[in-house]
Formats: sequence, C-alpha cells, structure tokens
Amino acid sequence: MSKKNWRVLRELFRLRFHGLTVFRFDFFAPFFVDGSLFLIQLLAFGAIYSNVETIGSWGRGEMILYIGTFSLLNAVNMTVYFFGVTSIPHKVRSGELDLYLTKPVSPLFRLTFERISPGSVPLIVMSVCMISYGTASLDMTLSAVRTASYLFWLMLMEILYYEMEVIIRSASLYVVSMARMEQLEEAGIDLCMKLPGIALYGVYKVIFYLLLPYGIMATLPVQRMIGEMSLRGALYGIGVVALFTVITYEVWKQGLKHYNSASS
Amino acid sequence: MRKYWEISKTYMKAQLVWRADVIFNMFFTISKILFAYLLWGIIFRDKELVGTFTFHGMLSYYIVSSFLSQLEMSEGISSEIHDRLRNGTFSKYLVIPAGIERYFMAMELGVVLFYLIFDFMAAAVWVFVFRIRFVFAGEWQVIACALVMTVLGMVFMVQLNYFLGILTLRFEGIGTFLMIKNNLVSLVTGSIVPLALFPEFVVSILRLLPFYYVTYLPAMLLTGKCGEEAVRGIVIIGGWCVLMQLVIRAAWKKYFTAYDGAGI
Repeated sequence: MSKKNWRVLRELFRLRFHGLTVFRFDFFAPFFVDGSLFLIQLLAFGAIYSNVETIGSWGRGEMILYIGTFSLLNAVNMTVYFFGVTSIPHKVRSGELDLYLTKPVSPLFRLTFERISPGSVPLIVMSVCMISYGTASLDMTLSAVRTASYLFWLMLMEILYYEMEVIIRSASLYVVSMARMEQLEEAGIDLCMKLPGIALYGVYKVIFYLLLPYGIMATLPVQRMIGEMSLRGALYGIGVVALFTVITYEVWKQGLKHYNSASS
Repeated sequence: MRKYWEISKTYMKAQLVWRADVIFNMFFTISKILFAYLLWGIIFRDKELVGTFTFHGMLSYYIVSSFLSQLEMSEGISSEIHDRLRNGTFSKYLVIPAGIERYFMAMELGVVLFYLIFDFMAAAVWVFVFRIRFVFAGEWQVIACALVMTVLGMVFMVQLNYFLGILTLRFEGIGTFLMIKNNLVSLVTGSIVPLALFPEFVVSILRLLPFYYVTYLPAMLLTGKCGEEAVRGIVIIGGWCVLMQLVIRAAWKKYFTAYDGAGI
C-alpha cells in the first residue's frame, strides 16, 4: 500500500471514529447483534452435541473452532469493510459515486475503508476467545507453524469474503434492483455459518464450494488447524481465491464503465 | 369488526403489488430446510434416533416449524412504528377511525392469509423435493389445539412487536434491540434446533416463556409429539397475551405524551 493510501486510511478512520462516538450505544451495536448471533450458534450446537458424539468426523471441539473461525471472519468484515462496501448500491443509485471517482484515490479503496467500525473490535476479541476455547477442547498443542498457517488461511478467506461482498454490491452498477442478490448472499452466509463444509456433498458442494464459496471460508482454516487439510484441498482453496480476485477486478472495472452518474 | 376486515383485505391486495417478493420469499424457505437436510443427514448416517426424533420426524419438524415461522410476519410492525414516530408520520394512525393496535392486528391477519397458501405450497414442494416421509399428528384434538396455539402465538408476537415499537418514545433508537431480539427469538422458538434437544432444566424454564408456544410446541404437536402439553400450552400462551396487553396499556399511557406529531 502506498504512503498516500496510508494517509488517506488514517484520515478516514479519524473521521469515522468522530462520527460514531456521537451515538454511543450504536457504536457497539454490531458487537451486540453479531455477538449474540454467534453465542446462540454455540448454544444450538451445544444442544446437538449433548445428543450426538460427532457430526461427520467433527466433534464438539472442531465445531466450536468452526463457529469461532466464522465469527472471526465476520468480525474482521464488520470492523474493516462491511459498512463501506454495503453502501455501494446507495451511492450508485444516488449518484454519490461521482464524488469518489473525482478524488485522487482509488474509489474502491476509499469505499472499503471509509466506514471502519471500531465498535466491532470486541467481536474480534470474542471470536479469539471462542477459537481458544475450541483448541482447548481439542487438547491441541499450538505450534508456531500451525498457528501461522491457520492465520494464512484466515487471511486468504477474509479476502474471499471481501471479494464476494464487492461482487454482489457491484451488481448495482449493472441492474436497477439488487435486493435478490443480497437475499441470496444472506441465505448463503446464514446456511454456511451453521453448516461446516464437511456436511456438503454433490450439487450442494458445487454451489457452496465454487459458485457461492461461503462453504470453504471457515472450513479450510479449521481443516488446516486440525490437520485434516489435503494438498488438493489447499490448492483448490488458493485457486478459488485467485479466481474470485480476477472476477472482482473485472466486475468492478466493467461496472464503472456502465456507471452513468445519478441516472444509474 | 367489518372495518378491520376491510383493513385486512386491503393488505391482502397490497401484497399482490410485490409478486416477485412472494416468489422469492417462497424460494428462500429452502435455506432452513436445506440446513436441516444436510446437517441431520450427516448425523443420522450413523444413528437411528436423536432424542426422540427419527430422520424423517426431524425433517417433518423443520418443515412445519419453517412454515409457521415464515407465516409469523409481525417483525415489521416495530420498525414501522419506530420510523413513523421518528419522522412524525405516526399521526396517520391517530386519525384513522380504528384502534391502532387492532389496526396492526388486522394488517397482520391480511398478510398472513395472503401468504398462507404460498407458504403451504412451498412446504409441500420441499417435502416432495427432499423426499421426506412426512410425519403428521393423528388426533384431531391435538391438531385443533396446535392451530389455536399458533393463532395465540401470532397475536402475542404482534403485541410484542407493537410494544417494542412504542418503546421508541422512551429510547433514542430501538434498531439494535430489534436485531438482538430476532437472534434470540430464532433460538427460543426452536427454529435453529428443536428445544427438546436442550437439557431438561433448560426446557422447563423455556416452558414458562411465551416463545415456546409460538412455533416450537405447535410444530411438535403437528408432528405428533408432546400431546400432553397441548391444553396447558394454550392456557400459558393465553395468559401471556393478557399480560402483554396490560403492559402495552401501561406503556402507552406513560410514554405517548412524548409524541408531538412532528417527529422525535
């Protein structure tokens, strides 16, 4: 990242923090809402595991790790780019995107980082606690290599999460209404945050491993952590991220050519 | 009563304006069924029974529970009241020659009657698509109790959302509360996992709460379980409706003086 972009990022963060502290309860709203969502998930799977030993090959510890990992991916999303990226359709419809195109900084860069949410930081802390609880339940010894490769996969999947969000919002540059796309995204995330990829097979695997790859987002980092990841799985994960990076770049670039100011 | 029936009919007709919404709402009921099908499919691969459920009994529960929770559409009432109180247009409801709460009840009835047939069709399609050997209650008394309980449960949810909407007069913003409430309701109504899978002491606490009777118990009754709780359930949810009405009256009397018709 260039020095200029760092300065822009710092300034965006300062402005955002000032705006958020005006409404103190709303400041922590993402933490309360998403925190309750993932705690409920833990309770629900706690109830299932009090009746069954394993789900597929995964026991209670693996599932806690899975929920914690998905929660962490979501927490970073909420903290860093969610509010910025989800404002894209509104900015396209209202013509506000004009302001971004005329500034001497990448429009997507500014849109991504201009609405950072510091109130979601406790969500990251909570997710790390869940992950620690999961590894403790598994009696796992955390070596530096294992932790580093888990973090590598987390970073890769966070990029994929971001790209999916941008692709879906970029649809507003092509079509008038994109409520259905957001509904599809919501349904996909809702399903995959409850259901690890190991439960998917056949056509469901094609859908959630390739077309809407929410199914691999928390599954691959957990598989790496518990030593279940094969070389094929690793290459596949890297391939999917590379593919979606290209798609995101093209969809955004071509979308901007479609943009006709306020009449979009 | 006639004027309220007219309100219901108006809202029934109004749904026809958003035909695409109706179709997509039907389609997205698949996410809950798909979650149940994949999750319980992998669990029941090695087991015949989980708790008191067979695989097809479990999926029948999710079909009915999803159908009932899809019908419960009172969630929008609180945000409607919140938005209108904030921008001053709540006065609309003060000049209409109808009781405000009863207006919302009639509105809910209209929407529910409209969606009833479509949600029923969606449930039938998923039974066919996922080849579920549907388990249904045999005794008409139990079915009648489940239907009465479902109606009372919906009345309670309208009352609850109406009450939360009124709280706008007391609190600056209720959006965060509503989102946390939705997360909690999905757990305590048994939409994520059947409450029977929780430990017995948790279930006995939940039995005292109204949410147990909104979706969970009617779904259990309609799939031929918990018949002994049917009559007691109607009495408890009926009691909660009366209690909620008293709370609404007290809140209205205390807070409505804050409304000046020009927004807050």
